[in-house]
Amino acid sequence: MQNQEGPVADGEKESSESLQALPPNEFEIEDWANFVDDDVMQQQSAIHAEEAKKVPFVGDKEPLSMLAAGYESGSPILLEKIKVLGQQYAAIRRTRGDGNCFFRSFMFSYLEHILESQDQAEVDRIKGNIEECRKMLQTLGYADFTFEDFFVLFLEQLESVIPGNETSISHDELIIQSQDQSVSDYVVMFFRFVTSAEIQKRAEFFEPFVLGLTNASVEQFCKSSVEPMGEESDHVHITALSDALGVPIRVVYLDRSSCDSGTGSVSVNHHDFIPTSVANPGAKGDTTEAIKPFIMLLYRPGHYDILYPK
Amino acid sequence: MVDFARVQKELQECSRDMEASGIRVSPKSDNLAGLTGTIPGPIGTPYEGGSFEIDITLPDGYPFEPPRMKFVTKVWHPNISSQSGAICLDILKDQWSPALTLKTALVSIQALLSAPEPDDPQDAVVAQQYLRDYQTFVGTARYWTESFAKASSLGVEEKVQRLVEMGFAESLVRSTLEAVGGDENLALERLCSS
Repeated sequence: MQNQEGPVADGEKESSESLQALPPNEFEIEDWANFVDDDVMQQQSAIHAEEAKKVPFVGDKEPLSMLAAGYESGSPILLEKIKVLGQQYAAIRRTRGDGNCFFRSFMFSYLEHILESQDQAEVDRIKGNIEECRKMLQTLGYADFTFEDFFVLFLEQLESVIPGNETSISHDELIIQSQDQSVSDYVVMFFRFVTSAEIQKRAEFFEPFVLGLTNASVEQFCKSSVEPMGEESDHVHITALSDALGVPIRVVYLDRSSCDSGTGSVSVNHHDFIPTSVANPGAKGDTTEAIKPFIMLLYRPGHYDILYPK
Repeated sequence: MVDFARVQKELQECSRDMEASGIRVSPKSDNLAGLTGTIPGPIGTPYEGGSFEIDITLPDGYPFEPPRMKFVTKVWHPNISSQSGAICLDILKDQWSPALTLKTALVSIQALLSAPEPDDPQDAVVAQQYLRDYQTFVGTARYWTESFAKASSLGVEEKVQRLVEMGFAESLVRSTLEAVGGDENLALERLCSS
């Protein structure tokens, strides 16, 4: 992820530096200045196209051993951690590293869960949350036509994974749909709207976290780091999406840090994002410990894939 | 494929509050991929009183990809090319999002006219002038607005030519025209009475 974006960012930086260094009467720079903008855009889309050939938006389910294979000549800590991971998790499904991987992982994982569990109550519940998000966006002053198409498309996807409908699809069809750009990008954008609305709705809560990431106001952060396609997701995005939709998410962290528990063996950290609505169910008196997320993601620095438990 | 249904909705939305915003978007032809935007120069800037035309081309990926926009009206501004009209604005590049619209993009361009960012220039010559000799920058920007961005400035050369043919000195004709905001009849009245 970061490696791919590196050259683009560097290119931009270099060009603006050399632009300023030029003598003031050099009119040729006009063409050059234009060339730079187009060049950056072209380079970016070329990288995306290249990446697209390598990994589909959502790949096939692979056993965890395939993950280990990629690190065979690499860090022993990582290999050790993958072994630990193997005690609880069976498989991984890779997603494309284009900055939208968290949202694409969440999309597939959620729809696959509904398809397999046939949990109509969950579908009804999330529809209520989606309706709240729609109202929130209107309250925040977004024009309906900017977000409506994305909402409609996600609701269609949701309907299609419930059987008995005319539009019901199989697991194979879900994979095909999730690899279709006109579906996947629309759903990513739907999640970006939902995330942005939740962050702005609870601006006071999110402000300190946003300040920890950038120097921007909450609104600026949403405009520059949540709403544009390809902007990577951080814990702020995950918290907001999980809260807004009321869906718990587990993120398992696979990195080089050796967090040994004093016994000399490595352990793998994870964090469960439990939505506020679930964690504080009010009169019901449920406890947080009872909640086990059905969405499990593997985080390696800069990228999210889908994990499957044993 | 451009999402034309959405573009239609955007055009409706835009025409609804045109009176208040002064911002216009209209299709060049039946094909909605090519449009023309118009923004009024912000009050209190050297662009005040001008009406700036912006050429808009929608790429196939719109609204996932940003609209391509450039100034048709010549404008003197650090972030706009004085030669090609190319605009340096983040939301027209990597900061674009489908949450934005043609109208919000034009509003951002209008805001850019109010608040130039000479440290991130599109036109290095203008940016240098802005930083080193602000008064001259303001003068040039205002002159360009007068010359290129006012309806009355259209055909100014023809007006000059006609008045010169009546026997007035060219420099006097030009200064008089400028003083009356380009109105040929008023200029003639003034020239005759002086």
